[in-house]
Amino acid sequence: MSDIETLEIIEVENETITDEDRPWKVIVWNDPINLMVYVTFVIQKLFGYSKEKATKMMLDVHEKGRAVVSSGTRVEAERDVKRLHTHGLWATMEHDE
Amino acid sequence: MGLFRKRFVSRESDGTYTIRFPEHIRELLVALSGQLDSALHQDDNPDLARLFPTAYANDPERDAGYQVFARGELIEHRREAIALLAETANKPSVTEDELTSWMHVVNDVRLVLGTRLDVGEDSHEVDEDHPDADLHELYHLLAAVLSEIIDGLSSALDDEGTVFGD
Repeated sequence: MSDIETLEIIEVENETITDEDRPWKVIVWNDPINLMVYVTFVIQKLFGYSKEKATKMMLDVHEKGRAVVSSGTRVEAERDVKRLHTHGLWATMEHDE
Repeated sequence: MGLFRKRFVSRESDGTYTIRFPEHIRELLVALSGQLDSALHQDDNPDLARLFPTAYANDPERDAGYQVFARGELIEHRREAIALLAETANKPSVTEDELTSWMHVVNDVRLVLGTRLDVGEDSHEVDEDHPDADLHELYHLLAAVLSEIIDGLSSALDDEGTVFGD
């Protein structure tokens, strides 16, 4: 690793991390209306997860009340929330703590 | 319904879906989609709450901003699904997009019905003489229809979650 590259890394590390830069997480909440097979299908379809992973997330939603299904910038999280809302799932977004 | 009954929705090798729902189910879906379309105009209808959920649970100001742009898009998306269902409800075979629109409409109607009936985790079937017995029966019928549609659409997803042919 050259000195120049080292300097660049230090510069990146010293950038101020603003509130907006902190990752957002997208949460699907349990609800008594949506069918379990539907929740699994939507999570699998929208995020490209395996059937196994989507089923585990659905079971977390059902049994623990919520599951984090994706995370990213605010724009990315808002896009995912809207896709989930389009499918009638109860989804919200919040900052990753 | 026999043990080896044919599925109501099955995916064919060309990517289309053969639909075997009886006539009265197809007519019911068209009628319900029309009612949903009318209801989407009603800003103050509490039964529609689940169609437009909160995005920012801890930030009402940001959520208000989200609702401004999202509500219109969600309504538009639902109208497109309703229109596509109405166009294709009588077809013996539909495309994936068309079947997906059926799925959206059936689920949206269930969300509205479930909200109106105040369905909870512990809700069970109601007695025949219950004042909302018909709506409860409809709610459960739509769950069966939706399950059949998802059964069909799920067959297009492989284990990695991607759609064949994409």
